Amino acid sequence: MFDETKQMNSMKPAENNAPAENDEFNKKLRRSRAEKIAGKVGVYAFLIIYAILILLPFLIVLLTSIKSAAAVQKNTFEIIPSDGFTFDAYKVVFTYHPIRSEHFPLLIRGFFNTILYVVPPTVIGLFTSALSAYAFSKLRFRAKKWMYSIMLGTMMIPGTIMMVSQYSLYDSIGWTETPLPLMIPGMFGAAACVFFMRQFFTGIPDSIIEAAKLDGLGFLGTFFRIMVPLSMPALLAQGILGFVGGYNDYLGPLIYIHDANMKTLQIALRTLVSERGGDEPNVTMAASIVALLPTLIIYFFAQKYFIEGIVTSGLKQ
Amino acid sequence: MEQETFAEFGVADEGKSAEIPAKPPKKRFKASLREELVGTALASIPLVGFAIFALVPLVTALAMAFFKMKGFGFDGAKWVGFGNFATIFKDPIFWKSIPNTLIFAIGTLVSQVLALLVAYFLSREIKGRKVFRMIYFMPYVCSVVALTLMWKTIFNTNYGILNQILGKSGENAINWFSPNLYRSTVIFMGVWSGMGYGILLYTAALTNVNKSCVEAAKIDGANAFRVFWSVVLPSISPTSFYLLVTGVIGALQAFAVQNLLGVSPDNQDVTIVYYMYRRMLEYSGTMGEASASAFVLAILILIVTVAQFLVSKFWVKEDV
Repeated sequence: MFDETKQMNSMKPAENNAPAENDEFNKKLRRSRAEKIAGKVGVYAFLIIYAILILLPFLIVLLTSIKSAAAVQKNTFEIIPSDGFTFDAYKVVFTYHPIRSEHFPLLIRGFFNTILYVVPPTVIGLFTSALSAYAFSKLRFRAKKWMYSIMLGTMMIPGTIMMVSQYSLYDSIGWTETPLPLMIPGMFGAAACVFFMRQFFTGIPDSIIEAAKLDGLGFLGTFFRIMVPLSMPALLAQGILGFVGGYNDYLGPLIYIHDANMKTLQIALRTLVSERGGDEPNVTMAASIVALLPTLIIYFFAQKYFIEGIVTSGLKQ
Repeated sequence: MEQETFAEFGVADEGKSAEIPAKPPKKRFKASLREELVGTALASIPLVGFAIFALVPLVTALAMAFFKMKGFGFDGAKWVGFGNFATIFKDPIFWKSIPNTLIFAIGTLVSQVLALLVAYFLSREIKGRKVFRMIYFMPYVCSVVALTLMWKTIFNTNYGILNQILGKSGENAINWFSPNLYRSTVIFMGVWSGMGYGILLYTAALTNVNKSCVEAAKIDGANAFRVFWSVVLPSISPTSFYLLVTGVIGALQAFAVQNLLGVSPDNQDVTIVYYMYRRMLEYSGTMGEASASAFVLAILILIVTVAQFLVSKFWVKEDV
């Protein structure tokens, strides 16, 4: 922006020789430049204040989690508490279990349960979605058009309206109080993921596929040897989104699992807080930090995939 | 092998094809039949999952709404016609759940407008755009459980950090979850964590706005606001529409935040999904009523979405 005005400044007099007009022009230019700088400062101020508004609650959480229970319950806010910082709250988080004889802490168990329930459906679901997307983008079959329309249509159905009857269905086949309702449906792939991957696969030139065919690769061979290696970034983006979605899921595990030893991290967090956090907000905050950390770490390292995955699936629909 | 590939491309040796004239088309048919089968099979995996885990429940949901259910399944269920609908329509809490849900949905609109504003500033020549964007999107990847518990602690009446900072304690302490403030507090939490998604999509849409149209408008003497209103806004209208439709559908299914806060001033926390959840798991033998309310929710979502599509003809400009 600065260069632009400078350039204009040096260009203008050459075109316009009248000194009075030139003066007038410079005045205007100076004013508009001042306005521009003021505008720029305003924009930065706005963006920075909003960034602080997002970060501040996280900082408060962090700060509260390393205070003692006594310091947190005071009426005044101290950045550095008079009795110093302590990791007491984290000790509670990493040891607590509602069943006293249970040695494996609730939150840690919740974490491993979550990994166990979320990783297999994410990986298998990604695989089946990609296979389906491969068929939709590169194979010729008659039912393609209407099958794809149905697929897109399924995305429009709001999930919660099936909540009640799904529960009834899973109850009748004995799946309630097990993680199966959270795992099995996802393994068949997700329409949104098929949509995204199809978008990506369509961009892979057909000539590569033809070449693979000449080299004697079958449909599955082409998929594994050509499509998958070429679309690793897209697969990674969808895999990360799927994992984080499953990791953060609340309604599903809330409905289906009530056994303390089978709870997911999010539900374990809720249990821990309702049993201990009421009079110990520092415990609530420490537990929240522990639950947030894995997704935040993934986010910081895989930001590119995250953002690309979301933007492409959001913009093309 | 060689012959096969040549045959496929229609450049088979003439002498040979004269010998067996029917061979190339037959081969092609075989290959395409295989492709037909493999393609249909692979493409249908997600649809099979949908049929089992969504279509079957959709049909049973419809049926359940008309039965008095004893347990979770159909054992001992009795046909009651519209009895379940009559029950929920007589329930004052169900009638509260609809306006409750719609009021929380206002938060979606607020967050969308603010997201556009932030994205507009972000799409200017800004240093550190990536850092800002990274920070703004952070709440979106966080679990709703942790974020809700975080806000619940910050807004706590007795030891909440907000009241501490405002110097309100004891008698003067502000109850952020009182009947007067509950809705605003929840909407604030929703806007705070939901804006990141809108910002992300809007920044992408804004960078795709045709630069020459913007320049042309500027040369014609349009000021910044006018350019934004008449050029930028119409060309990002598909993104606005997408965000609006998905945002409202999501908002009409609100549940987690209200459930996690665990306070119920005048039943303001009971959304439609929350009502379903209660009918399903907290009362016994009311699966039929829960299904009936799911049915009402589906109708409500359908009406709102169809209305949005109809109105979109007047403001969404495709291919600007």
